[in-house]
Amino acid sequence: MTTKSTLTAIGSKPLPDDTHSCWSCGDMRAAHFCASCGKVQPPSPVDYFTFFGMPPKLNLDVAALEKDFYDLSRRLHPDLNARAGSQEQEWSLEQSSLLNDAYRTLRDPIKRTEYLLHLEGVALEEQSKAATERARATGEVKKQIVPPDLLEEVFELNMQLEELRMNKKMGEDDPNLTKEIAGHKIALEAKHDALLQELQTYWTDWDSLIERNHGSKAPAEERAKITAKMVDVLNRRNYIRNLVRDVNAALEE
Amino acid sequence: MSYSDKVIDHYNHPRNVGSMDKSSTDVGTGLVGAPECGDVMKLQIKVNPQTNVIEDAKFKTFGCGSAIASSSLATEWVKGKTVDEALAIKNMDIVKELSLPPVKIHCSVLAEDAIRAAIGDWKKKQETGKPVAAEAK
Repeated sequence: MTTKSTLTAIGSKPLPDDTHSCWSCGDMRAAHFCASCGKVQPPSPVDYFTFFGMPPKLNLDVAALEKDFYDLSRRLHPDLNARAGSQEQEWSLEQSSLLNDAYRTLRDPIKRTEYLLHLEGVALEEQSKAATERARATGEVKKQIVPPDLLEEVFELNMQLEELRMNKKMGEDDPNLTKEIAGHKIALEAKHDALLQELQTYWTDWDSLIERNHGSKAPAEERAKITAKMVDVLNRRNYIRNLVRDVNAALEE
Repeated sequence: MSYSDKVIDHYNHPRNVGSMDKSSTDVGTGLVGAPECGDVMKLQIKVNPQTNVIEDAKFKTFGCGSAIASSSLATEWVKGKTVDEALAIKNMDIVKELSLPPVKIHCSVLAEDAIRAAIGDWKKKQETGKPVAAEAK
């Protein structure tokens, strides 16, 4: 019964009621197995949170998720269901693949956040394209998604990295430049950590919104307010992440 | 995914790479970014104040081949056009010219943004310059 309450209480795409019964014994079932007879069930079109029987919250216990993952992957493993009917085997294969995707997405903090944004219908590229089209129609200058000073910083550092690479290619060494870039590296890593911490505060905002609404959907306006903040952090993080990667590559070359 | 011949050509032989004096009143600078991929693109134009024709354009892009090709093409296209003509360039024109696949459309959007941002910066400079010019008359 606990399974049922979680399943109906959460998720943007709850299982339709008529799919809640087991194909074999007719009793109530979980997303993957029948709670009564234990048979593998056909995969349902549920989101990854629902697949793990969790509310769509972002602060999640990764150790518990991992445990559930191993437990489920053992039980869903196609080899273990070799004696089952071919239909059931096929389902266990599909469920296993869904399980792998769900686990890989949810265990990673960034992928988890991006996945939630996807569930919330946030389409970044579409938004950017629409803003360009508005600028074209109105003649107004499009507002850049990331702050101009960050763009400036990214651009300048890229120029320095290019210089460093050129120097190395020519066999020249500019110790001051290398030192300066190494200094940037430390600052960038600190910035990256700070962005992740900022993201976590929005996770907490999101989770308490979910809790306050006890599983029924929170007002779209409130959800959008928090997801917009997450988008903003992720956008800035993309730049910082690339810079950290490029700085490391340039210093190691 | 493979790049089209035109993208490869622009990537290997980018046109108009470089920079101009940002503080010059004739120069407009656009610095834009695509957060989806972390690309950044700088495009500058030099406008003839009498004719409003873009006489020179330079760019510098840090990003993928498609982003570099889109901005390289953008500088080629704006040169010789008036500011208003340059504002008529649409990202889909770039997509067609370079045969960009759907996943790279945002690169063309970035190039259009860069043109608009550079022109916007130039226009702003002309407006702030105007009152002084009016007083001088």
